[in-house]
Amino acid sequence: MIPKLPIHCPSCSDSLSVSQLKCENCQTTVSGNYSLPFYLRLSEEEQHFILQFFMTSGSLKEMATQMGNSYPTVRNKLDDIIEKVKKLKSESA
Amino acid sequence: MKKLLLNPFEKISETKLLLFGIAITLIGSYLGYMFHGRFIGIFSFKTNDEVILTQSLIDNGIDLFSITLFLFFFGRIINKKTRFIDILIPSLVARLPIYLLAFTNTNNFIADLSNSLMSNLDVKNPAAFHIETADLIILLVFAAISIGSLVWSVTLLFKGFKIATNCKTSNHTLLFATGIILAEVLSQTLIYLINY
Repeated sequence: MIPKLPIHCPSCSDSLSVSQLKCENCQTTVSGNYSLPFYLRLSEEEQHFILQFFMTSGSLKEMATQMGNSYPTVRNKLDDIIEKVKKLKSESA
Repeated sequence: MKKLLLNPFEKISETKLLLFGIAITLIGSYLGYMFHGRFIGIFSFKTNDEVILTQSLIDNGIDLFSITLFLFFFGRIINKKTRFIDILIPSLVARLPIYLLAFTNTNNFIADLSNSLMSNLDVKNPAAFHIETADLIILLVFAAISIGSLVWSVTLLFKGFKIATNCKTSNHTLLFATGIILAEVLSQTLIYLINY
């Protein structure tokens, strides 16, 4: 089982940031305060949607067929994700 | 099953829904002709002594034109990406419950009942109006079926509009409500002016 990357604090629900990174080869650790990239701040479902969008070369029609949804349902999902990314961008600016 | 009856627009492709919508419009027009009823508004069914098939088709054409016109106009205000086809499809499909109302007039049942009740009514002495218990029960059942059909039709239309426009706020719902009221007024006016 691949553990899910937590993006929100389980205690106060605020966004989490990266404070430590580690090289598995030489065990070097880097400490600091790095914010998560936009893609990782999205939910797993939204990340999966973006990946599918990329894999179908941006064809919403093909995605709709693959997902078993109608075209406007898929387009609305994309619009919602775009809105969320815009919001995240403006928050971090 | 519940989703299929109340919100088929989420999963089913537009081609299938469009063909289904066109088919039920043609069948619905034929039902109106067969059971002596006219669809004189987007949510209205009225019994009529004689109905010509072309008249029934024109009624439904006017109803569809009115509802699509207003919902597309308001849909574009809510979301510029709203496509005409995504509004047309729920406008076609949401009329299914209204078409099914035609069955209530099998063998002129509702028309005969309503005529007999009207003949009992003395305008000068409304207090003398008498209605049999059986007739009253039938009328109540018909009223319940009509209200059920109306709720089902509006639900279908709203779910389809919601998906077509990606609307979320209560202001958007208000625009939808305005759209269907205006469409009902326009369809009834146009049918009265050009198809009576």
